[in-house]
Amino acid sequence: MSPRQLAGIAVLALVAMATGFVLAGQVKAQLLTPSNQVARYQALVVSVQELEATNSESRREIAGLRGEIDSLEADAAARSAATQDLRAKVDDLRAHAGLVAMHGPGIEVDLRNGDAGSAATGTAYLVNFEDVQDVVNLLFADGAEGVAVNGRRVTPLTAFSGSAGQVIIDQGPPLASPIKVVAVGDRNRMFAALDDPSALASIRAREVEFNLHLTFFGSPDLSLPAYDSSLQIPHVTPAN
Amino acid sequence: MSRRRIRATAVSVWLIALLVALVATIQIRSEVEVQRSLVGIDPTSLAFLIDDLHRANEALDAEKADLKSKRTQLQSGQSGAADQVLSTEADRLRAVEGLVPVHGPGVVVEVDASGLTVLDLEDALNNLSSGGAEAIDVNNNRVVMGAAISPSGSDVAINGAVITPPWTISVIGDPTRLGIVAGLMMQQLRADRRVRGASYRVESDIVIRSVISEKPFVYAVPS
Repeated sequence: MSPRQLAGIAVLALVAMATGFVLAGQVKAQLLTPSNQVARYQALVVSVQELEATNSESRREIAGLRGEIDSLEADAAARSAATQDLRAKVDDLRAHAGLVAMHGPGIEVDLRNGDAGSAATGTAYLVNFEDVQDVVNLLFADGAEGVAVNGRRVTPLTAFSGSAGQVIIDQGPPLASPIKVVAVGDRNRMFAALDDPSALASIRAREVEFNLHLTFFGSPDLSLPAYDSSLQIPHVTPAN
Repeated sequence: MSRRRIRATAVSVWLIALLVALVATIQIRSEVEVQRSLVGIDPTSLAFLIDDLHRANEALDAEKADLKSKRTQLQSGQSGAADQVLSTEADRLRAVEGLVPVHGPGVVVEVDASGLTVLDLEDALNNLSSGGAEAIDVNNNRVVMGAAISPSGSDVAINGAVITPPWTISVIGDPTRLGIVAGLMMQQLRADRRVRGASYRVESDIVIRSVISEKPFVYAVPS
């Protein structure tokens, strides 16, 4: 057999091997999604994206309306001392409800998905709403006066939900890792609470098992945005 | 080697290369499709997400309508319009922040158990909040997000007040939604070995008299 023939066979063998590897990888990864499944999936994704755009626009509109109302109230307060007193009380209530942007000393906590490659189980871990809820509750229990998660302000009515690595806070869009929790308040107390090995037991267990990343640092001045969604309580009536 | 054999070899190589290219293209296309969509979210989760976003957008529409009505009232320039808007807002925010007694329809959840922890209570409260809770009381302690829930020996304390079992969680809000959430909670609680008994009832008028004391800001400064 001539060297040329040998080279031809070698090339053929290499190409065949490469084909085999690719086919095997394809079958293993099962990424050959049937086109109709992809289409259905894409339709769902488009729905989510459209609803998110509406959501974002509505929240922008709400922030604008609150700004306009604030100006109109300020005009009215300038004309009456009684209105000015009432407005001062409402401003304080709004600040406590999270409707006013604020700043001050605090803590920033970062939560990131676990890394599948180095995890003991080889499974990636996605930060979920319960992880975020645990961090926020710990911060409030230990000196936070205001908290925001990825720029979404937490209010007295805030609820966390979500699935598959998505974190939904109130009427906001789904958030995903990396999650940044910013808390303004007693910085030293919050830092000590986060540093306590007995606190956040489930998150610490996931740090070990799934390489979930939890880091935090204090800062002399952090900012929190105002809440930009609904605080309606249609079923509640003040009791006498 | 004959010319025919050489041609046959070339055709074979060409076909294999084509196959490789084809598979690689499909592979890349599939990956891009998945990446373009929300990575890692299965269709069921997407459906839940759509449901959540619909509900959220409806709530935002209601808030916009309310704010537009307030703006119209303020723009009217009528005597006392601003005071009326501000008084109504103050009443609403006091109820939101748990500063005043309130009443309304909702559910009452009762859990008799031993060994329940801070996380159990926080999870229960968050489930009810996700289900539309507008005011919550646990054993005569008003609870809002931001309340300090901490361990106290083998029990749990809310803002320093120890609550001992059984827990009675009174929740005001949409009774239908809250009823569904409470029903799901019962399934979980009854499967929990620590729980001796768990029940809930829907009520047309629940009165919550407990209130939270106002706490002034020490560190935070409104911008």
